[in-house]
Amino acid sequence: MVKVTIDGIEIEIPKGTTVIQAAEQAGIEIPRYCYHPGLSIVGVCRICLVEIERMPKLQVACYTPATEGMVVHTNTEQVLEARQAVMEFLLVNHPLDCPVCDQAGECWLQNFYMQHALHDSRMFENKVKKSKALQIGPNVMLDSERCILCSRCVRFCDEISKSNELGIFNRGDRAELQPYPGTELDNDYSGNTIDICPVGALTDRDFRFRTRVWYLSETESICPGCSTGCNINVHHNDQRTYKAGGSRVSRLKPRYNPDVNEWWMCDAGRYGFTHVDADSRILAPTRSIGEEQEMSWGEAASEIMTKLREVISVHGKESVGVILSPQMTNEDLFVARRFFRDGLGLKHIDFEVAPLTTGAKDDFLIKADKNPNTAGARLLGVGARQGSGMTVAEMLEAARKRKLRALYICHHDLANGFAVDVVEEALTAQDLVVFQGPNTNSTSALAHYVLPAAAFVEKTGSFTNYAERVQMIHTAVTPLGESKADWQIFRSLAKEAAISVPYFEAEDVFQALTAEVEAFSGLPYAGLAGQGIALRDGQALPESETVVA
Amino acid sequence: MAGKIISKFFDIDGGNTIDVYERHGGYQSIRRVLKKMAPGQVTDEVLKSNLRGLGGAGFPAGRKWSFIPKDSPKPKFLVVNADESEPGTFKDRYIMDRYTHGLFEGIMIASYAIGANKAFIYIRGEYVRQAENLVEQIKCAYDRGYLGKRIFGTNFNLDLVVHRGAGAYICGEETALLESLEGKKGWPRMKPPFPAIEGAFKCPTIVNNVETIAYVPTILQEGGEWFSELGSERNGGLKLYGVSGHVKKPGVYELPMGTSLREIIYEHAGGLQDGRKLKAVVPGGSSAPVLTADEIDVKMDYDSLAKIGSMLGSAGVIVMDDTTDIVRALYVVTRFYHHESCGQCTPCREGTGWAERILKRILDGNGRSVDIDNLLNIAGNIMGNTICPLGDAAALPLKSYLTKFRADFEAAVSDRNGVGKVADEPVSLLN
Amino acid sequence: MSKVAFSQESLSEFERIVAQYPERRAAMLPTLYLAEKEFGHISPEVEVYVGELLQVPAIKVREVLTFYTLFASKPRGKLHFQVCRGISCDLRGCTKIIEHLQEKLNLNSEETSADLAYTLSEVECLGACETAPMMQLNDDYHGDLTTETVDLILDEKK
Repeated sequence: MVKVTIDGIEIEIPKGTTVIQAAEQAGIEIPRYCYHPGLSIVGVCRICLVEIERMPKLQVACYTPATEGMVVHTNTEQVLEARQAVMEFLLVNHPLDCPVCDQAGECWLQNFYMQHALHDSRMFENKVKKSKALQIGPNVMLDSERCILCSRCVRFCDEISKSNELGIFNRGDRAELQPYPGTELDNDYSGNTIDICPVGALTDRDFRFRTRVWYLSETESICPGCSTGCNINVHHNDQRTYKAGGSRVSRLKPRYNPDVNEWWMCDAGRYGFTHVDADSRILAPTRSIGEEQEMSWGEAASEIMTKLREVISVHGKESVGVILSPQMTNEDLFVARRFFRDGLGLKHIDFEVAPLTTGAKDDFLIKADKNPNTAGARLLGVGARQGSGMTVAEMLEAARKRKLRALYICHHDLANGFAVDVVEEALTAQDLVVFQGPNTNSTSALAHYVLPAAAFVEKTGSFTNYAERVQMIHTAVTPLGESKADWQIFRSLAKEAAISVPYFEAEDVFQALTAEVEAFSGLPYAGLAGQGIALRDGQALPESETVVA
Repeated sequence: MAGKIISKFFDIDGGNTIDVYERHGGYQSIRRVLKKMAPGQVTDEVLKSNLRGLGGAGFPAGRKWSFIPKDSPKPKFLVVNADESEPGTFKDRYIMDRYTHGLFEGIMIASYAIGANKAFIYIRGEYVRQAENLVEQIKCAYDRGYLGKRIFGTNFNLDLVVHRGAGAYICGEETALLESLEGKKGWPRMKPPFPAIEGAFKCPTIVNNVETIAYVPTILQEGGEWFSELGSERNGGLKLYGVSGHVKKPGVYELPMGTSLREIIYEHAGGLQDGRKLKAVVPGGSSAPVLTADEIDVKMDYDSLAKIGSMLGSAGVIVMDDTTDIVRALYVVTRFYHHESCGQCTPCREGTGWAERILKRILDGNGRSVDIDNLLNIAGNIMGNTICPLGDAAALPLKSYLTKFRADFEAAVSDRNGVGKVADEPVSLLN
Repeated sequence: MSKVAFSQESLSEFERIVAQYPERRAAMLPTLYLAEKEFGHISPEVEVYVGELLQVPAIKVREVLTFYTLFASKPRGKLHFQVCRGISCDLRGCTKIIEHLQEKLNLNSEETSADLAYTLSEVECLGACETAPMMQLNDDYHGDLTTETVDLILDEKK
């Protein structure tokens, strides 16, 4: 450890910490453009110049290691002058087209100009012309004139995605960021370049011009796109959906978690939220026997329970199959377990459906298991592999043979895991098929009752990622139509069956879960927010070979 | 005579060949060094000589060599900086053309001193003929067994490679040079680590200018103290001064360190053309702060020039007579630094182009009174705030021309204000 | 795979060059020179090929190619006039030489004639200030230029 003093604040930091990091620990933010903690350090933007006693010149805080006894000043006249000078230089060739720039509102040229510069323009000359509005990849637009050549995106492509798509060509103020001619910025992580671009040079094709960022709210969540569980912020816009084509969720952004995704997320996850506001959303409980008819939750619960009891009384408890989903939260699954297994005494409960085509994976963030909560479902023991009931495949076979008479299916599109005719034969042979999920699919089309479940951005709960880290999602937007969280749906049904589900909030469910399920025992609810908690405290787990749809 | 070491070969026919060099006592120094001296003793001798980095920085050569870690298991490299691109500088071209084997012998001695078995000469790409000569003469040296394995029957091995640059002034900056040598853009590196610790290919590396290395054989032959006494205090030996511009006899003159600028201009370079009067002199390549006609009694060495706010730099003396349009001179110099800015870090990338455009506007007759102070301020904002010294190299002429010849600029601004006059304030968005 | 390839001769020269360096990539500049010699100029196909030879992404080749001024990414004239416009040459009248060549060659600076006979460039200091004004014509320096000596050189080379 070394002791340094920054703006009069003495702090102790590990050897090798840079001045910019040390300052952060002392609660002092030194402006930066090129510096990014996840990338190599190049020291090119020069905005982080600070004064270090006994050094003749200003030093860049991003590169300079803090050493024992170092005394740093980040706010002297000399530093402020240099900072303003760098700001002025950065704006010499910058187009200042903020009114039409999508970055406005989250632009670090704007922010630092307001915080550190506020100079009057002395620039009379013409600016250097470069290429504008270039679509450089499926997700990214480039405006070279706005680019301040911080090289963050180049370093990202070299060091993180290791795909080398971007380069800086030419030199001096003619230097220009470009992909290699004839190629695109097209890798599984390309969206991150937009996040780390401090200015409006790289903007998001999906997001641009849809809303001004100051209309957005942020809610912490977890990407449901695979079992990694990348920490994200959901950027949503409840009040002005008419400006964004009716979509309430505008974009997902990665949220720093050193143990999971650091600063990054994959494009599949980033752009995989459109189902949340899609036309396929189920808006009300619906009866699909004969003519399709919307119902109230009361009617639906009562009718479904009546039919389910009928099946059970005629054919026995072993004639009902329940297919849960690893898309559901720990809380959803726990209440499902309480209701179906403990309350109704059903035996055939499973959640794993192996997909027909194995999901893509890499050795970075992308897992083949495209579900956020497979590990949670396993730990909660709601799979056939954890119990003694039928697997989903066995259920469908039994259903076809009418050994099963009722199927309760959550979220799954079974066509992803089985041939269409297998699913069709099985489901059409049933006396009762209930489908519950946020969106319609080929399975819901075969159900007698379709129940609207809240999407992941509409509820609070927790997922357990592949490494058994329990992480929270939070309600960002109100559930669409009549939809509600899966566990709340089970609670409605349980009420009809006079089974006690005494929970009002997700937190209540979680408390019961930790009290009852060994693997989660002692987990503090309050500690889950933010970075989540690893059940095995960082012990590495062998990645499961099983892949579920 | 002690008056000439390197340049005595300039007038000898075939001075670049191995035979002529040996006939004049060449390759004796390395023989003696390899047989009689330990590497550390070689470095000590160079320290004693007060030989300074003659590329421009003036850092004592022996001290630089002593920074090579003795215990590093990595290979070490010597890289000879023959990028010679500072405007007004051409001395190294003469050395490579006419003192070729003297340079090689210096490379051998320096490599031995720092423990390198591989040396590179990084030569600017435009010097095609010079590179050809080097390659040819290296082959001759190999043929004689002076390069390669077991040199002069000792255990010392050395390979020498000529590496051509490709048109980038910045590659004369030693870390940019190393990047370029490694096959990258010439973007200067952050320091530390310094090249002596981590240079070419992440190995300890010494980068020395051609001229610095070229004096090494003589230093080892005649002794460090002998060399040191040829020059002025702490500025050892002789120096090649290049003189260009408005003089009668432009050329390279090898003179003791500390020879006065007046002597160089008026005695050696023959004085000004056509009886013109001196207006300004740049003493050390175009980045050195300009001197007025009143300042030429200065001794041309590192310390004396620093004392009067300029620098010896590459000792490329650029003489300007009283016909010189000083505004244009500054424009040409600034255009150069703008053209050569690597673009990596902000102040130099943006500031050089901005300054050039202002100067162009003044030249075009659209100057404003605020331009002069703005230019001074831009120069101040570049100074000291960049990764490498190119920023300073661009800022120093701006500051010195504008300060010492302010009247010329003021005249240029007011003279021409009538032509295509524009507003004194930028257009405000609020109007 | 790239669409161009070195001749056997260039390929062995390339191997000789690569062997001089501790890292393959260090052969970048010499390989680009070699490629320019063989192919006339460095087209995108050549960039890709050089990248393959050096085992670096083509984009890193392009970064280098566009950073340095000496490589031709477009065809250049058989005679490439590079007139120095550095400070020492400017003091001694390089502007006249440039204007004279512009007129004689009927080209603006940085242009190549349609028949690929001439390219005219203004370049920064070439390090031969004692002969100012000077120029580089292909590989050779020509100094102490006057409009007359420029005409002589032109006549000789035509």
